[in-house]
Amino acid sequence: MITHEEIESLIRTALPDASVETRDRTGTRDHYNIRVRSRGFSGKPLLDQHRIIYDALGGALKDGRLHAIELKTEAKEL
Amino acid sequence: MKEELSGQIADEIREHRILVYGKGTKQAPRCGFTLETVQFFDDLGYPFEVLDVLANQDKRDALSEMTNWPTLPKVFINGKFYGDTDILAPMLESGELQRILDEAFAASPSK
Repeated sequence: MITHEEIESLIRTALPDASVETRDRTGTRDHYNIRVRSRGFSGKPLLDQHRIIYDALGGALKDGRLHAIELKTEAKEL
Repeated sequence: MKEELSGQIADEIREHRILVYGKGTKQAPRCGFTLETVQFFDDLGYPFEVLDVLANQDKRDALSEMTNWPTLPKVFINGKFYGDTDILAPMLESGELQRILDEAFAASPSK
């Protein structure tokens, strides 16, 4: 299990300006829809945008706190 | 062992225009995201293959390393890695995916 605040703080270590929205899909706090907006995405292909988030959440995904995520990323305008 | 796996993966990717490495099979997906991916390509109407790697940890590790992508499913089109439906759905909306599929299936026929 992981909280919205923990997810947000993990993502912000990689992207300090990120706006992070989460939705607990199952009520079990380990399956989330995550939507991230950041200037750090601008000019990057979607695949690389998602890699940044998977890297940031890597520990939580590996140790099972986070089981599955559905991810949406979007570049914030400068 | 590792080289063997990379060779096997390279062959599989070459053999199928659209290839999904997932959990479970096309007929019996064993993960919600694999099911979603099967439905996504069913809707698109192009032939695709799903290879079950759920129980094969070595191959999952090799795939993750090769793609720099930690999760399943993993989708390859025309030999190129495209992530999962979180990537493909926006690409479908923008029309980019259709261009890639047109190109993939315009080339010499394959399964």
